Amino acid sequence: MKRTTTAALAAAVLALAPACAAERPPAESGGWAETGEVTYWMWDANQLPAYQRCADEFEAANPGIDIAIEQVGWDYYWGRLLTAFVANAAPDVFVNHTSKYGDHTARGLIEPLDELIARDGPDLAQFVEGTGDLWVGDDGRRYGLPKDFDAVGIFYNAAMAREAGITPEQMQNLTWNPQDGGTFERVLARLSVDRNGVRGDEPGFDPRNVATYGLGINYPPGGGSGQTEWSYLTATLGWTHTDRPLWGTRFNYDDPRFQDTIAWWRGLVEKGYMPPVEQAVGTELGQLLQAGRVALVTDGSWNIRTYARLGGVELDTAPTPIGPLGHRAAMTNSLADTIAAGSPNKGAAWKWVRYLASPECQAVVAEGGVVVPAIASVVPTAEAAIGAHGLDITPFTRQLREGTAFPFPAAQHAAEVDAIMETAMERVMTGRADVSSLTAANEAVNALFTQG
Amino acid sequence: MVTVDADTAVAPAGRTPGREAGGLTPGRVLAWACLLAIILVTLFPFYWMLRTALSNGTTLATAGGSFLPVDFTWGAFRRVLGLATLEEAQAEGGTGSAVDFWVYLRNSVVVSALITAGQVFFGALAAYAFARMRWPGRDAVFFVLLTALMVPPIFTHLPNFLLMRDLGLLNTYAALVLPFFFMTPFAVFFLRQFFLGISREIEEAARLDGAGHVRTFFRIIVPMSWGPITTLALLQYVQSWNEYFWPLLVGSERSVRTLTVALGVFRAQTPQGGLDWPGLMAATLVAALPVLLLFLAFGRKIVDSIGFSGIK
Amino acid sequence: MTTAAVPATGATAGGPGGAHATARRARTRRETWVALGFTLPTIFGFVVFYLWPSVRGLGLSFTDYRFFSDTSFVGLANYQRLLADETFWNAMAVTVWYVVLNIGFQTVLAVLLAVLLHRLTRSVVIRGLVLMPYLVANVVVALLWFWMLDAQIGIVNEMLSWFGIGPISFFGSESWAIPTIAFVNTWRHLGYTALLIFAGLVMIPRTLYEAGRVDGASEWQMFWRITLPLLRPVLALVLVVTVVGSFQVFDTVAVTTMGGPADASRVIQYHIFDLAFERLDYGYASAVSVVLLVILSVIAFVQLRLMRAGESDLG
Repeated sequence: MKRTTTAALAAAVLALAPACAAERPPAESGGWAETGEVTYWMWDANQLPAYQRCADEFEAANPGIDIAIEQVGWDYYWGRLLTAFVANAAPDVFVNHTSKYGDHTARGLIEPLDELIARDGPDLAQFVEGTGDLWVGDDGRRYGLPKDFDAVGIFYNAAMAREAGITPEQMQNLTWNPQDGGTFERVLARLSVDRNGVRGDEPGFDPRNVATYGLGINYPPGGGSGQTEWSYLTATLGWTHTDRPLWGTRFNYDDPRFQDTIAWWRGLVEKGYMPPVEQAVGTELGQLLQAGRVALVTDGSWNIRTYARLGGVELDTAPTPIGPLGHRAAMTNSLADTIAAGSPNKGAAWKWVRYLASPECQAVVAEGGVVVPAIASVVPTAEAAIGAHGLDITPFTRQLREGTAFPFPAAQHAAEVDAIMETAMERVMTGRADVSSLTAANEAVNALFTQG
Repeated sequence: MVTVDADTAVAPAGRTPGREAGGLTPGRVLAWACLLAIILVTLFPFYWMLRTALSNGTTLATAGGSFLPVDFTWGAFRRVLGLATLEEAQAEGGTGSAVDFWVYLRNSVVVSALITAGQVFFGALAAYAFARMRWPGRDAVFFVLLTALMVPPIFTHLPNFLLMRDLGLLNTYAALVLPFFFMTPFAVFFLRQFFLGISREIEEAARLDGAGHVRTFFRIIVPMSWGPITTLALLQYVQSWNEYFWPLLVGSERSVRTLTVALGVFRAQTPQGGLDWPGLMAATLVAALPVLLLFLAFGRKIVDSIGFSGIK
Repeated sequence: MTTAAVPATGATAGGPGGAHATARRARTRRETWVALGFTLPTIFGFVVFYLWPSVRGLGLSFTDYRFFSDTSFVGLANYQRLLADETFWNAMAVTVWYVVLNIGFQTVLAVLLAVLLHRLTRSVVIRGLVLMPYLVANVVVALLWFWMLDAQIGIVNEMLSWFGIGPISFFGSESWAIPTIAFVNTWRHLGYTALLIFAGLVMIPRTLYEAGRVDGASEWQMFWRITLPLLRPVLALVLVVTVVGSFQVFDTVAVTTMGGPADASRVIQYHIFDLAFERLDYGYASAVSVVLLVILSVIAFVQLRLMRAGESDLG
């Protein structure tokens, strides 16, 4: 045994050296070749046909470049990307997300585009306002050109609304405040029905025995951003996640406006208008709508195609409620294609990225009827194409037109912030902790930034 | 007094060997009830898989309580076998991603077969050395090998991944097979326990006949332990068939992707998007089919031979 | 022709004759070479794919490796952080609770099932049926039960409602999460474990049972006096493997609860995965892995000693 121990120790010491020099910085292995094969990763399978057509047209115009598209589902995307980076086999271009690219820039994994844009364009004014800014990192450099944007809105069971006597006009003009919930809460109450057929706003409603809940809830309940869960309410009070719209370093979960909203939200469970968080583990909101278990959900416009396809239920869309300050709010996010810094043919990759962000390719994507491209001129085409599949997307997109949209709060340490807030929010929503516990969570989150 | 039959694989009609003849005692009724309850709980999910696989994904949730398929359709199986077009797939809630089913099947078969062959062969050799041979440090080395059982797989995944990358073996069969090929602590442990249970008289008889260890092993011990060895082979085949995280790491490329990894294509494609439940259930059933057939083919033999291993 | 009645100084290990002793040594040396030949591939596999990566991981645990950023040696800082980390201790507690539930439930049921299979029926079909869950990949088993046990549209809650039992959030409730995961894993592994024990049962000679019956012993008595003691090597194997495997539960959690609700199912291996691949804090994750490895080794060692697994009562 003694010999084994000494041998193990010696090996451990030897192992330290190579362990420290595990990876070379990727930028060292990058190159600017203008031809060759460009690998492109994306996650949304619904958009695959449109992007394949873009690739075909691009290859026809650029004979020396081959585009190899690989679709990797969202559940695996970031894990595989990380593995690919470690294996020095990262895709040349890949679709990136606002909440994730901070990790990439911090490690020098993606290529800044400012000089390329200055040299070759495109004109940044062609993009819908606000979408481009999301892709300027915390070092001030731009890392992606926005390809599409999304917003948050309401999907509701139109048949149930009719039965309940709620008109579409009412749904399009909901109001809300954290004290009594405004018409939003009244609608939710009306839509909630217990096992005996009593509605939420009628006497004798049993909150413990509900057959249909007014509002559906996701699991986990929002994490740090609450993109589709509660951010559309908190922002109507003038609350922002961080001290700056992007790359803030001080979070505001201790603000009473935030905590009052969460308290109202949790109150819905006690009143029987929303299912308890525990029951939300695992189910998809779309399935709950189909099963008639919830009547209304707030979700992102990137899923509108999925909702349109749901059988057995008649759905309609509506914008988020107007808050006490007189305006709506919806979080908006945009995706962009980023170039891997270690790619050997960044020249060709840049050509592809520029083409992806051009009106020609974006028009093809718009006709696909899945998402709304970020180029302003193409937006009406997309709205019409999406509408043709059954659901109207304008309640979502109007928030950008009317200037009531606010950007996804990109920040460093996103994964840790989410981890802390998910646990804290769960505790509050299950009733095990009071909303004031979010102040302690806020301190933990802010400590991430002061400790560096 | 009842004469007890020797171990036979099939009960002669009307008699259950090993029990006194004569019927329905409350004890036996209870025992059968337990057994049936266990079988029911074991099998119901499979029925549920089948029911979901034959349902239409876009209306599946409308009838959650129904025991029959919702909107009966073969669409899911068509998606899995790569027979559905993009429109057909998306119309029923599928993702429309391509599924090269036969390629994935081939990969799974090859990889599992290679791994099993290596593990069983080398494991049996080593187990015999630990059980029956005497050499310095034998027990210490065995204990150290056992510690390989305790190593959390996550711990070795990344360094092994780096090793494969440095050897240039990523996305090859070699990367999928090598870490498991030479040894699995379970195989060594398992066979050693069985070899320990074999009576020494047999070996001593062989030794008197002048056979060395190698001959004794291949001519006597192995045929005697055919039951445990085949059982082990089957179990390890199934285990490597269902291996998930390692092939995901080193074998994501289509040409070497295994069926289990390919199941990922039925999971969420967009953030908070839905799963293709019928597709996933159909894929699972199809993926389990080859191993099920294998078991049906060899199961009887295993059961027969287990009965005779090591019995004097 | 020295009969070597007096052994040469220290040369032989107390054997009677020098010639015999030399022959024995030669035999031992030959045996050692043969043993080496038999075990070489296994040792090779162990060193290259278990030992070396573990050592490398150990080395990384003394650094602040975070993928692609500058890595520096930080000594024992990760381990100090570990001792103070509440999430880590919670993860250990959660895992221990899971192991107790899972092993208790699974072992008792597996022994019961193996005995039932052995004594009640010889049907190969039934034996095959109970093994079927093992044929399904772990991640899919997890997803399937996730779907069936769903609190709002799952079939199990639907069936419970026929008996008036309110919807149970199997995966969503903090008190139900771990028992549910234990159940799911037991469902998958029951047949497998039972088969292993069954193989051991079959090796017990029938003559012992005959003798027992002649002496007038009941089924129950024979089980406790004959079956269980003779099952010891196999039970030892099964227990060590299942306990160690239980500690390493990961797939089910990763696919269903992802550590929730509120960390109620954040088992240790999921915690390591989250640290390493989501938060990219690989140095710290390695340290946690090392601690887990040490704990498991101690447990297995104690188990083996207690069960005297190296011996067999059959001779």
